[in-house]
Formats: sequence, structure tokens, C-alpha cells
Amino acid sequence: MSDITIELNNVAKRYWLRRGWYVTSIRDEVERLAARLLRRQVEPREEFWALRDITFSLKRGEVLGLVGPNGAGKSTLLKILSRVTVPTSGSFVVHGRLGALIEIGAGFHPELTGRENIALNGVILGMSRREIQSKFDRIVAFAELERFIDTPIKHYSSGMQMRLGFSVAAHTDPDVLLIDEILAVGDASFQAKCANKIAELKEQDKTIILCSHNLTNITDHCKSVLWVDAGQVRMLGETDAVLDAYLQHVTAAMNAEAEHAHQQERAAFEGLATIHDVVTLNAAEQSQTRFDRGDRVLIDITYSAAQPLPGAVFGVAVQDIQGYALGGVVTDPDTVKITSPVEHGVLRLTLDPVLFSRGAYTLNVNITDPKLKRTYDLKRRAARFAIDGPRAADRETSGHVYYPHRWDSLR
Amino acid sequence: MFETVRNAIRHHELILSFAVRDIKARYKQTALGVAWALLQPLSMMLVFTLVFSVFAKVPSDGIPYPVFAYSGLIFWTFFSNTISGGTLAMTANSALIRKIYFPRETLLLSVMLAGLLDLLVASLLFGAMLLYYKITLTAAVLWILPLLLVQMILALGVISITSAAHVNFRDIGHALPLLVQLWMFATPVAYPTSVVPHWLKPLFLLNPMAPIIDGYRRAIILGTRPDLEALVVSVLVTLTLTVTALAIFRRAERTFADVI
Repeated sequence: MSDITIELNNVAKRYWLRRGWYVTSIRDEVERLAARLLRRQVEPREEFWALRDITFSLKRGEVLGLVGPNGAGKSTLLKILSRVTVPTSGSFVVHGRLGALIEIGAGFHPELTGRENIALNGVILGMSRREIQSKFDRIVAFAELERFIDTPIKHYSSGMQMRLGFSVAAHTDPDVLLIDEILAVGDASFQAKCANKIAELKEQDKTIILCSHNLTNITDHCKSVLWVDAGQVRMLGETDAVLDAYLQHVTAAMNAEAEHAHQQERAAFEGLATIHDVVTLNAAEQSQTRFDRGDRVLIDITYSAAQPLPGAVFGVAVQDIQGYALGGVVTDPDTVKITSPVEHGVLRLTLDPVLFSRGAYTLNVNITDPKLKRTYDLKRRAARFAIDGPRAADRETSGHVYYPHRWDSLR
Repeated sequence: MFETVRNAIRHHELILSFAVRDIKARYKQTALGVAWALLQPLSMMLVFTLVFSVFAKVPSDGIPYPVFAYSGLIFWTFFSNTISGGTLAMTANSALIRKIYFPRETLLLSVMLAGLLDLLVASLLFGAMLLYYKITLTAAVLWILPLLLVQMILALGVISITSAAHVNFRDIGHALPLLVQLWMFATPVAYPTSVVPHWLKPLFLLNPMAPIIDGYRRAIILGTRPDLEALVVSVLVTLTLTVTALAIFRRAERTFADVI
């Protein structure tokens, strides 16, 4: 038996656009037919290729991340793999039982109880009644719904319905699993449970395709990543390489946006001070944007001030690539003394050693008054740098921050 | 056709689950529950008796008119409920169809299965009526089974086309109640076949439901076999329609998720 579990060959999917998404009516069709019979010109329909030339294969036990902007074709790809829709051209094979954690709970009926819905949803997802019977208690326990299992699910909160949906789907025991954004289900503790479940499935050598906008999830779980853009494979390869390119692409767009926002914000900031440039340097004072964890990183901020700004405070905030704030530092009011107009001021921040884990980071830089009430200037995404080093999926670290530490075996 | 049978066997649990869901959901939060399955043909019978027997004096082949009408009505109700439910089966489950793969015809088969339960409930009253009018059953009653089979194959053919068409054109949903009603009056439900004028007979027999409904009546009340000649025509029409319809459905279902 070959090791390949998923194989796609030039898969393409075309939709017809005409007054919105494939909206048609009998009148419309009759008119077109009549026009064709009378040999008149038929207005061509506009076509839209949701996917084009998608070719890749996955081996047993591989976990593939799927990234791309909204509307890139990720969902269409998952729909084709789960056989909900057929490709317009090309071929694909999926070996083994396929499970999909996509739009979980789709088959639920609001009038039926949790118990009845488990039976129904389980069968729809391809389990036998006996199988559901034997897994019933585990499904209920995982969803934490023991008390409400005989209540019609129309009385459930949306979180409860999602939990039940995830639980049923996660217990189908598939060989191939498609996951779409489900790691955002429920509260924090349930999310942790979901992540554990995925880790468990990975250990069981399941083939998984994980589609997520949360790149941390992708780095945590995937060995390789497929980046789709406008329906085509933009890049396919090792996680770090693809995500790095993807991020560069995404941040390029964001930087342009940030620059525009900065121009607008500056008007509101009265132009008393201006941040011109922010660069990251290595220990030898050479401009550099890739570092290893533990390196010395210098951040030079070039600024100017139109008038004396006694007690002005500089701040640098670090965010991960999703824009999530990781922390920041500010100067004391007497670190930089702007007692007269400054034309070309440079302030250096030294991070020694830099303790971020592998990943890409951006910096927000601002100048405010001593009470941090009035902002003289703010530059978002003023600089970007990347840290190489062990990936979060490796056992050593997870999250963004590395703690300097020591282990002692005392007894 | 063979593939449908194979799918029906392989996915019998799914069909059963859909049917159970439909039955449970249909009668939840109702005071009368499954008794509604009785009320539909019962009220029609009362109306028919009043209009066709008391007012219009339509003959009924010597059978007491209420039994005559009810015997046709319960099977016709099964047929028409299957058609109205089956036609809407895809759109009613659009959330599922858009998101999960399963053989779509299971939805059609489950509609029929759920309708069969209603038929069973409605025939309890029929049994009571037979007792009341002292009508004794003969071995001919076994003809019900093949008749029911033909009726179900016919209904499957009809809803394969209408349900697939309804996905694309919601006009079907509007037109159908009217068409079903017309079809009922083209079928000997309220009147006996014997009143159909001779010149209309050939056309009349092209309606595959006509010899079926007539056949139930003969098998149960008169204790005779159906009009076999007419039935053969009905079976041929039914098979042609359903085989074609299933092929059309199979082609159409590939794009349900994109269009629905």
C-alpha cells in the first residue's frame, strides 16, 4: 500500500457569476434558450475560477497548514476534498475515512435533544449506530454537557452547540482530517482541549489539513504549509519558509496601510515631534532584520522636534505578527531631554539579549508627554524583525517569550 | 436505479436517522402529535363524502362512500405528502448539503420512510372502518404490497426531478401544490374508474397512479386483483420515468452545494 493519502492533480473549480452568485431563474433560462434558438448573441456569463491548477499530495501522518487571504480558495479546496462539491476539472483521491471539522454542528436540528442530535450527526458524519452508542459517553463528557443532554438544543447557548459539534466530529475516528478555523471554538479551557485533541490525532498518525488565519496554530501543528492566493498555489513547502514569505507579503500590504494611517494620525498629533525612521541593528551596528535568540539587538529611532518638549517620553512596543501586543518599554522623563528644537535626534534602545522565540515581530514607536496623555507622534509597524531559533512545535519552547532559566536536580 | 438500491442498503442507517429526525421534529411541541397523520385523510374523507356522495351522488361501485373515499385517500395522502416533502428535501437541508457530503438521495428515501409511518397510523382508522362496515379481507389484500412498491418507485422518480429542479428554480415549490391537486382529480380517489367516459380511458390510463389507487380498492374492499393490463402500463411508465429521473438527479446533485 502506498503511503500517499491525499493526492490532487490540477484541480480547478469554476463558478459562474451572473447577477451575484449563480443566481438564475426559469425566466432567465428560457430567455437564454430562446435567444440561442433564434441564433442571437447570447450574453456570455462571467466566470470565476475559485481554484486553478492545484496539485499536491500528502503522505500518511503529514500535517499540512493551509493559509491565504479571505477568498483565496481555501474553503473551496476543503469542500472539494470533503466531496461536498466536485471540481470542474482535474482529479483527486483521498484514501481512508475522511473527517471534517468544518462548520461543525451543521446537521443539528434545533428541536431535537442533545442525545438525539449526537445520534443524527454521528450517522451523517459516517459513524454506525453501534459506534455512536459505544462512544456516546465520551462524546458527552468531552463536550461537558452531561446535565443538558436531554434538552432540545435550541435551548443551548451557541458555545454549547459548538462544543457538541466539535465533540461528535472529533470522535469520528477519521484517517484524514480537514480542520477549518475550529480552534476558535468555545472558551479558553475548551480551546485547550481542542488543541490537545488535535495533538492526540497527530500522534495517531492521521493526515491532517489545518486551515487557519491564526499563524501560531499553524506553526504549532504543521510541518509544511500551502499558501493559496487567488485560487492558485502561491507557495508550498516547509512551514517556516512559507510563513515567512506569506508574512512578508501580508506585512507589505499592512505597511503601506500603516504609512497612510500614520500620515493621517500625524495631523492629529500637532506635529510637535516626528519619528522619521526606526531601524534594527546587530551588535556591530550594522542594519539587520534577522537575529538569533540571545543576540544583542539595537533599535535606532531617528526623530525631530519643532520646539522644546521637556520631559518627552519615548516608547517602543513589540507585537507579534497578528498584532497582538507582547510588551513594551518606555524611557524615563529625563532620559532624553529636548530643551531646544531638534533636527536630527537619534535614540538607541538596546535589547541584550533578545529573548523572543522564533517568529516575526513588529515595533510601534511613539513619543508622548510625561504623563503619557498627549501623543506627539506615533509610528505603527515602524520596524519589523525576525528571530530564528527552535520552532515552537519543538519541545523546548512555546509562545513568544523565552525565559532565561536554569534547572537543578536537587535530589 | 441499481446504484440507488445499493446506496439505500449501504446507508440505511442514515436514511433511518433522517426519517426519525423528521418524524420527531414534525410532532414536537404539538398537542395532538402523530394523530395529525390521521386528521389529514380523515377530514378530506368527510369533505369528500359530503360533496361527492351527499351533494353530487357520485357512484362508488356499491361500496359505502366513506370507506371508498378513505381507501383512496390514505394512499393518495402518502403519495402527495411524499411529493411535497421530497421536493423540498434538498432546500430544507441546505445547511447540510452545503457543508457535509453524503449521498443526497438518502434525503428522498427518508421522506418516503417517514411518510410510511403516517400511512400506517392512518390505516389504523381504516381497519376500524372495515370492521364497522363489516368488510372482510381476502388473500387479494396482499396485492397492496406490490402496489405500494410501484407507488413508491413512482414517487421517487417524481421527487428526484422536482427536488433537483427546486434547487435551481424555486418556482417548482410554488407550482407543485397546484399540480398535485390536479393530479389527484385525474386519479380515481374521489370517484370510481367506472365513471370515466370511454373516449377518455386511454389518456386516463397513462396516469400511472390511476390503476394503483383503483388496485388498492379492489384488493382491500372488493377482494379482487387489480386491473393487470392497466397496471402493466403503469409499471412501464413508472420505470421509464424513475430510471431517467434518477440519472438526472445523479447529474444534478454534483452541483447542489454550489447552487443551493
